Amino acid sequence: MFMQRLRAGRIITGAEAGILGAALLLVMIFAIASDSFLTQYNVFNLTRTQSLYMFVALAQAIMLVTGNMNLSVGAIAGLTAVTFGYTVDTLGLPWPLCVLIALSVSLGTGFFNGFVMTKLGVNSFIVTLSTLFIFTGIVYGVSEGYSYRNIPASFKAIGRGSFLGLPYLFYLMLGTLGAVWYMFRYTIFGRQLLATGSNKEAAELSGINTNRIIMGANLLSSLFAGVGGLLWVSRLGSAQPAIGENWLIISFAVAIIGGTALAGGRITALGLFAGGLIMVLIKNGLILVQANVYFEQAFLGSIILLTILLDRAREVWSAKARKS
Amino acid sequence: MTLELVGLSKSFPGVKALDDVSATFHPGEVHALLGENGAGKSTLIKAICGIHAADAGVIKLDGETLKLGSLRDGLNKGITIVNQEIQVFSEASIAENIMIDKLELYREGRGLNWARLNADAADVLERVGLDLDPEDHIGDLSAAQKQLVQIGKALSRDAKVLLLDEPTSSITASEVERLFKLVRDLRSSGMTLIFVSHKLEEVLEICDRITVLRDGKHVGTELIADMTRETIVEMMIGRKLLIEAFPRLETDADDLALEVTNLAAPGLVKDASFGLRRGEVLGFYGLVGSGRTELARTLIGLYAKSAGTVKVNGAPVEIDSIGTAIEKHRIGYVSENRKEDGLFLDFDIETNITMPVWKRLRNPLTRAINGSRQRKIAADLMEALDVRATGPEQRVGDLSGGNQQKISIAKWLAADCDILIVDEPSVGVDVGAKAMIHKLIWDLAATQGKSVIVISSDMPEIISLASRILVFKEQRIVGDVPGLPEPGQTEDSVSRAIGRMMA
Repeated sequence: MFMQRLRAGRIITGAEAGILGAALLLVMIFAIASDSFLTQYNVFNLTRTQSLYMFVALAQAIMLVTGNMNLSVGAIAGLTAVTFGYTVDTLGLPWPLCVLIALSVSLGTGFFNGFVMTKLGVNSFIVTLSTLFIFTGIVYGVSEGYSYRNIPASFKAIGRGSFLGLPYLFYLMLGTLGAVWYMFRYTIFGRQLLATGSNKEAAELSGINTNRIIMGANLLSSLFAGVGGLLWVSRLGSAQPAIGENWLIISFAVAIIGGTALAGGRITALGLFAGGLIMVLIKNGLILVQANVYFEQAFLGSIILLTILLDRAREVWSAKARKS
Repeated sequence: MTLELVGLSKSFPGVKALDDVSATFHPGEVHALLGENGAGKSTLIKAICGIHAADAGVIKLDGETLKLGSLRDGLNKGITIVNQEIQVFSEASIAENIMIDKLELYREGRGLNWARLNADAADVLERVGLDLDPEDHIGDLSAAQKQLVQIGKALSRDAKVLLLDEPTSSITASEVERLFKLVRDLRSSGMTLIFVSHKLEEVLEICDRITVLRDGKHVGTELIADMTRETIVEMMIGRKLLIEAFPRLETDADDLALEVTNLAAPGLVKDASFGLRRGEVLGFYGLVGSGRTELARTLIGLYAKSAGTVKVNGAPVEIDSIGTAIEKHRIGYVSENRKEDGLFLDFDIETNITMPVWKRLRNPLTRAINGSRQRKIAADLMEALDVRATGPEQRVGDLSGGNQQKISIAKWLAADCDILIVDEPSVGVDVGAKAMIHKLIWDLAATQGKSVIVISSDMPEIISLASRILVFKEQRIVGDVPGLPEPGQTEDSVSRAIGRMMA
């Protein structure tokens, strides 16, 4: 998989190798440090959480690529989960239909975010900060804080079943990452997303309708968030209004550790995979080494900052290397 | 006061930006600082006003050796710079902007004596010839007015040496006149003025003396009275540069690739009508903001038009977006800001070149862009345009200015554009590359039958390339000048004709 910056060449870039190397190093450290780390149960759990994180991260990364952001990813997931819970539990509709309804709602939120960004010209930070609260408010207004517990077993199986020792979700993640990789590597839409994030004015002067591209990114972002929300329901076995509440830090952490440029124009599927792995390993590792979990957010925040600083240092270093 | 530079040198990693530069700037003179891009002008300016400390050499003001460690040190010694980007606190009033560094003087109890502050600001405005209320919001002023306010601010600080860095780059012709009047007044009052510009006409008009830099070295200091345009250029580039016009292209006045009638866009273009003949190079000459770039951008659908018709190959068309201009009507636009909105510097050459034609390279089944065809298109164009690079996968940001410009043009050739609009083709490229770009543009018309519009504020460039020149002023086309009738003739008659229209 390529570092997808629209530059041909090496199969794996230095940055990707770095992220992947860091993930492998963590795996090795934990494997040595803890006997319970490589047990089948733990591997199942880790990869399942990684897969869930991946949808959260993709929802953020797809916006970051265009030079925008989506602070409402968690709220969209919560709204999707509650819509699903309401239709399947309260209304008693068949769950495949409920999935469709719930995902339509998430696409609706993406459309709304995209509409305000492109047609009204409000920047993504402001738009999604507002809709974060709007969607969360609707979630609690509709659910009144209660979970929908009557979830069909066949739906729960998606988030709980496994194949060859790995969760279904893991394969779903691999397939999705493969599609994302293909999109950015080969399709016009994927390249136009990168072009828009790299230089919006130049993209416009090249005939790219950047508003359409940013709308597309919003729709995809909300779709990933919605799918993530539904998978979380499936794993938990109930549609809880609190789904998505702690997604903001995960979405940024995995996307940034995974090599997505904050300023836009760069994404890597392989890096995201490794970024998700690093994220679950750190969370898992903190428990294994019996760190005080109340400090978890401080650890994660520090790691995001460290990643950004490393990325910055690499940019400066490669700019220097080019000049000399 | 006399400003004296003695043996200034300054190195940056890999470059010697200033190499033993000595020069003297006298009071009561306007002294031009000239040189090509990269000659060391900016570094010298920054050394004079204290932003950069020189590695060697001294700066003396009336014999006193200055120790400048920052811009503030320079200001305290009476050395002030008025920048090319006009910097103001746009949310504040004019008076606040002028007095921002002197608020201490107006302290009264816990507040400020606003009446006195505003009255003093009004005096400053009067000195620079601005009839404005000092309490007005500065954000509403024009670029030229803001610049005059900045000069006023310098005066109120009792500046002895005033550096004007490209002061005319974003103001209109009549505003330039007003600025020059002020500059002359300041000169008579005994100020030492340093004028940095690449517009030689202005230098010849306003300056008394010139100092030319080349490759960080001091080439010479001369009285303007002893110089001509040609001798100045020769000093700047180190050899004689004759304006060698390309042979006239034979075109048919009735065979129009593009016909524009009464085109208007609110606040940008007024009532523009012209025809672009097939296979010709048509020049758009005018200052920044005169409507030339605006007309081009309206044509390609970037700005909305409010009136007028456009015909491509004789058929009326509606161009509402750049996508339509490129795909339906084969009109390509090479932006004047290559690095800002023309190219993707971080992407490779082939991506940059093929971006407009991805649709044609797509496999209908897999939706994938054919990578080998993409590479071939890029490689072929790189060869045709003689792009110097390691290959189609090289990062565009690593190419020289001239090669980057070729990539911007190649992009529209890849898209099979028949009409090319090239905005300021040689901005930021060196003299050798400039000649190559000119040859390339002319060849496109002469051998490939492309119809080309060249937009430029560089008069020699436009005279050597264009067979006809449209002159722009205040959002209108004010005239139509034929290019040089024959190669080898002087450009004087043409430039005089253009000059008359601009006046």
